[in-house]
Amino acid sequence: MTTDGLALATRGLQKRYGSRPALAGLDLSVPTGVVYGFLGPNGAGKTTTMRLLTGLIHPDAGSIEVLGRPFGRRDRHRLFEVGALIESPSFYPYLNGRENLRALAATGAPVSGARIEELLELVGLRDRAKDKVQTYSLGMKQRLGIAAALLSDPRLLLLDEPANGLDPAGIVAMRETLRHLASTGKTVFVSSHVLGEVQQLADVIGIIAAGRLVREGPIGELLHGEGEVRVRVAADQVEPARTILGGLATPDAVSDGADGDGWLAVRIGAGRAADVNRALAGAGIFASGLESGSDLESLFLELTQGDGSGGHEGTFFGVAGGSR
Amino acid sequence: MRIFVASLRKLVRRPASFVILGILIGLLSLILIAVAATASQPDAPPGQRAGLLLVTFPGAYTSILSFILGLGGLFAVIYGAAIAGSEWSWGTLKSAVARGESRSRYQLLSFAAIALMIGVGVLIAFGAGIVVAVIGANIAGVSTDGLSDAETLGTIPELLGRGWLATVEVGALGFAIATLARSQLAGIGAGIAFFFGEQFATIFLSDVVKYMPFNAANAVVATPGEGGFSDGGGGPVISSLEPNEALVVVVAWLVGSLLVATLFTERAEISG
Repeated sequence: MTTDGLALATRGLQKRYGSRPALAGLDLSVPTGVVYGFLGPNGAGKTTTMRLLTGLIHPDAGSIEVLGRPFGRRDRHRLFEVGALIESPSFYPYLNGRENLRALAATGAPVSGARIEELLELVGLRDRAKDKVQTYSLGMKQRLGIAAALLSDPRLLLLDEPANGLDPAGIVAMRETLRHLASTGKTVFVSSHVLGEVQQLADVIGIIAAGRLVREGPIGELLHGEGEVRVRVAADQVEPARTILGGLATPDAVSDGADGDGWLAVRIGAGRAADVNRALAGAGIFASGLESGSDLESLFLELTQGDGSGGHEGTFFGVAGGSR
Repeated sequence: MRIFVASLRKLVRRPASFVILGILIGLLSLILIAVAATASQPDAPPGQRAGLLLVTFPGAYTSILSFILGLGGLFAVIYGAAIAGSEWSWGTLKSAVARGESRSRYQLLSFAAIALMIGVGVLIAFGAGIVVAVIGANIAGVSTDGLSDAETLGTIPELLGRGWLATVEVGALGFAIATLARSQLAGIGAGIAFFFGEQFATIFLSDVVKYMPFNAANAVVATPGEGGFSDGGGGPVISSLEPNEALVVVVAWLVGSLLVATLFTERAEISG
């Protein structure tokens, strides 16, 4: 498999903690210059992946390519072009924000003093830069963590739950910053549980469950292809409608809608609402309600919490809990 | 070099640096003044009067240094453990590694900064000890003529150098223990346990314990046969290594501790 044009690629990545597999052959393909949303339930292997990508831990099998070149135990210099915020931000509590950035800047790729000031301004911490980090709120630490990840002006940015603790204004500012970075050709890899945030932010998403990738692609395409049409019919017409809708998609794609009696939901492209209406009308069934659409949450739940009927190859359902 | 300077800046700003030095100087001062005040009483028994030797120069120089190495050794192991352990507990080592920094270089240069801080601490404590001893001598009415004893003064740089190396060695031990424990508190706890465990073991294994890190550190500057003050004032008298022999053992412990810490960090899976 070619990895040309990819900022980040993993092939068959495996990692075990004792007898428990955390990653069971992860194949990620992160294009250059996009915001990539990395999603998965607790314990799916997101943080393990982030640790592997930053050399904190090492894979049992498989390979990683960072910025087009192999990344192994002896390739730490490749991280000079990578910025990362893994799990919670890590700082010396007795140092102030500026001193913490200076301390971190002494490691890895060289960083100028001007860059530190620029980043403090960017994350809105210039006024609090002289205060000890132990007096910072969670959101302020998170902002400082994002500044730390940006220290080396990285070509690839790895962020684990970057919106964690940020207030709404902070989330908007972060989103704009990350979008701006992607527009300049940098690649932003964001692991998050906040699906709505990822939906607004990401160009491409990858969803993992039980240590494997279950879906990956441009978010627009995935949501379009994974849409749902909900239709309401008279109570005595539910069963005939179910048969008709099953013919449009597959019988197991039709389910009772969550909105109450008479609602049916069919997993079908969101753009096919008219087809649904036409098919029902053709059979003399007139819908009293018709809704179409899709969201990341539906897709995520379908891929990670379903009963196996989704029919996606490689999908692991019933994911074990407990994160590492 | 960037890491060394940054580590030094971190240590200078770190409250533990001042707290530990302050406690060491405070205890040293308290003991010297208390000994001087009580030993100079006219009705003091002969044994107590012997305490005046602690504030009588030039012998006070080695007494002060022995105290610094004895109790200071305990503080150094705590200090080394606190610094190394916090890198894991606070996740700052993780951040450095994720930036592509060499694990070994980060650890070794961080420890080099600790070693320099210990050296500065030993010098400050020694200077403070001399001042307090002079005050104690004045309280006790003891002459301070020996303060400028040329022969003794000539040996002080070497004694300080040896003392610094010995204190650095136990600092390295704390550094290694906390690295293995990956925790500040666990490292400090294990370091303290090691210190007292070694003192306790002298009862049963004196021939072996003289090669252990704290006893070897004390022996580096001890005059043959000396016991009491160098182990904090209460340790049992044991057979000690000759100073030069102890120096070799101290260097071995220092190198071994740093090797363990570095190799472990190099191979560790970093999480949290």
